[in-house]
Amino acid sequence: MNAQSVILPDDLSQLSDAELRRLELKIARKHSGMFPWGAVAWAFGNLAVWLSLWPLVFTGLLPLWAAFPIATINLALVYLPTHEAQHDIIARPGTKLRWLNELVGHATSWMMITPFEVFRVTHLDHHRHTNDPEKDVDITSMAPGPWSAIWAAIKARQPNAKRSADYVAALARNGREDLILLSLIYKLGFIGILGTLAWNGYALEALFLWWLPYQIAITYIIFFLSWAPHHPGNESGRYRNTRSWRSAVGNIGSMGMQFHIVHHLHPYIPLYRTPAAYREMRPILEARGCRLGDI
Amino acid sequence: MERALKFIASILPLIFAFAFMVPVIDAGMQAVGVNAPFGLSTLSAALIIGGAWGVFAQITGRWV
Repeated sequence: MNAQSVILPDDLSQLSDAELRRLELKIARKHSGMFPWGAVAWAFGNLAVWLSLWPLVFTGLLPLWAAFPIATINLALVYLPTHEAQHDIIARPGTKLRWLNELVGHATSWMMITPFEVFRVTHLDHHRHTNDPEKDVDITSMAPGPWSAIWAAIKARQPNAKRSADYVAALARNGREDLILLSLIYKLGFIGILGTLAWNGYALEALFLWWLPYQIAITYIIFFLSWAPHHPGNESGRYRNTRSWRSAVGNIGSMGMQFHIVHHLHPYIPLYRTPAAYREMRPILEARGCRLGDI
Repeated sequence: MERALKFIASILPLIFAFAFMVPVIDAGMQAVGVNAPFGLSTLSAALIIGGAWGVFAQITGRWV
């Protein structure tokens, strides 16, 4: 971590592309490289809370109606630690805590019925091909407005959805066809667990602790991580394919995605540092012609 | 093996319907005290509703 403050000149318009880039990188480095203990605690704390709901509900200590919103919050919160691990933010390959990075990824992604490696390969592919109608795995989340975005997120989970085909194509493009089979095993495992619970008298518990929370959470996640920060999703290029924006539900309610532009430019910056990095980087982003909201 | 897996993947909506939707509908009807019409049991009604929905999803490629 480099704690030195980066002093920007008053008039950035006089700087060359290389000079702007150098300043931008300096700020990015200042906000990266630290161990994101919060993401690790978040990952395992969230997992522990969600797992604890099952025995609490089964034994009658917690009513299902009370457990359902908690489970929904758990499922909504599960993606971000996984996302940090996808970008090796917890520990880079070859470092001492690399095992922890991978553990966070694997320990959390199964709750969303997706192998960690599938998340990693397809998400990094999204970074390479952001807003490309043919190659961006998240392109199906694009929609003209928020309500149509919610509907698009629901449509994206239908059996014949283009999104599934886009994910398979991304895995094939990256030489990871082996993960297609693993994805299927995860899906079958999910149905197997739900079915076993349901046919043994725990149908509503399976519905309200996992299936429905997952459906609500994935819609919320696609809305805030995919649709909102890329909207309208018709521009490509490093400085134009995403944006900053002011969310009606705030930065926490939108899972830190108001500053998604910083994440796309410098995906090694931990989530909790992106607001500070954004504020410091904003004049440079303005000079670059980025799409910046009133934030 | 690959053919078997492709077959399983191709009938996932039906598997989901009978593995999960049917018992959920059955349990839901019992929980809210809804009786099935024509003297059917709630499980029979759930098999008809869940099964039909699964067939719909299987044929059309969408649940909604």
